[in-house]
Amino acid sequence: MTKQTFLHDKHIALGARMVDFAGWDMPVQYSSIIEEHKTVRESVGLFDVSHMGEMIVYGEDALPFLNKLVPQDLKKLVDLKAVYCQLTNKNGGIIDDLIIYKLEDNKYLIIANASRIDEDLNWMVRNKLGFNVEIVNESHNYSLLAVQGPKACDLIKSLGLDDLPPFFTIKRATLFNINLWVSRTGYTGEDGVEILVKNEFSEYLWDKLLETGKPFGIKPIGLGARDTLRLEAALHLYGNDLDENTTPVEAGLAWSVAKDKTEDYNGKKKIMEQINIGVEKKLIGLKMLDKNIARHGYDVYYNGEKIGVITSGGISPVRGDNIALAYIKNLDNLAVGSTIQVMIREKLHNAEIVKRPFVKKNNKG
Amino acid sequence: MNESMLCTKTHEYLLEQDKNKYEVGITDYAIEQLGDIVFVELPEVGTEFSKNEAFATIESVKAASEIYMPISGKVVEINEQIVNSPELLNDENFDDKWFVKIESSADQVEFADLLDYSDYKEEIE
Repeated sequence: MTKQTFLHDKHIALGARMVDFAGWDMPVQYSSIIEEHKTVRESVGLFDVSHMGEMIVYGEDALPFLNKLVPQDLKKLVDLKAVYCQLTNKNGGIIDDLIIYKLEDNKYLIIANASRIDEDLNWMVRNKLGFNVEIVNESHNYSLLAVQGPKACDLIKSLGLDDLPPFFTIKRATLFNINLWVSRTGYTGEDGVEILVKNEFSEYLWDKLLETGKPFGIKPIGLGARDTLRLEAALHLYGNDLDENTTPVEAGLAWSVAKDKTEDYNGKKKIMEQINIGVEKKLIGLKMLDKNIARHGYDVYYNGEKIGVITSGGISPVRGDNIALAYIKNLDNLAVGSTIQVMIREKLHNAEIVKRPFVKKNNKG
Repeated sequence: MNESMLCTKTHEYLLEQDKNKYEVGITDYAIEQLGDIVFVELPEVGTEFSKNEAFATIESVKAASEIYMPISGKVVEINEQIVNSPELLNDENFDDKWFVKIESSADQVEFADLLDYSDYKEEIE
């Protein structure tokens, strides 16, 4: 049965078109994906992302336990700071991509993809032997609201929260007399916050944010625009751009691997080998050189040979052209500026390899 | 929508303009369902299609869809405007939303499964 967030009735009342996403009945759009996209780039948008997973890992071995699971070095994490990282398998493949927050010594919060919660929990339990830790799935207790856009922080400040947490930091706060967590994170490439709140307060918070956000131009934003926004920012989508057969290095995420980490972690051998020697396939950004749209699953060609596949593709409302992420063979002669081809409906269409992100990020990242 | 349109269950419409001459497009309901339309590809004038053959591609932000011929025919004119500015299809004030004009000598058998306007409306409600 399809799951619903605690904001489901709100979405219906706002006239959202609902779709199934990872087993959840979620709003894909309220008005128009392009309009909603522009709202987030120009003012501020409100997203219900309550389908995402929240887990707490605590206990005296919480740090060594989590450090065995991810290529980041969590020893470096101070209280209330967060890191983007991946849960890797023995071959370095990505089980999920996560944000891990250190709440306090021996206590961490993990934000995970909705579609991967069960796999993440299973994997953590399998790795738990010998560690004194507890893993608690809090996903069904919390709602997650994202407030994103150039005016997002002005809005939150206007609600009395003057000292917003810095980029990739979380803090306890009170908004509209509700105790909640405010994190300076997001999935749009814009500045903004994500608010973690107990389910019973989510509807009230949603209404209040839409009401007080009106002078800032706030609009509810569906998953359709969330996808076009993250693509412009070249942020990976699990299941499209990341999977268990792809390592962080291949995915262009070597920046999130701690090269000087002394502890062993799942997949370390493969990941460090790729960092030192190189990869056979790599993620690239593409822009189409005609009006055609490259989409997930389309093949990529060079000199008549199939060299890879598009993993995410679509329009860029801000640039006005069509962009994509693809994995291709790591050929020496292909770099930013090279022209390659995408097979679209049995015809090859030229595309140029371009830098990522496709649109300049406006957060503090 | 025009009451003399014949529609398919896959949301194409056929509108007779002259003897053996028809306009083909997609219904307002289809456009509404697609949301923002960002790409339209139409065939070359002169191309012949059989009934139910894909003749055009339309893409929304989310996905690409094929558009099928309601009856067999030969393309005699295409709507360049919607190729150059696909977003016009979402514009309520824009009336010229047809895709292609065809000449057809299709017999009654080909019309048998087409829905008249009221039946189509029932179908989508």
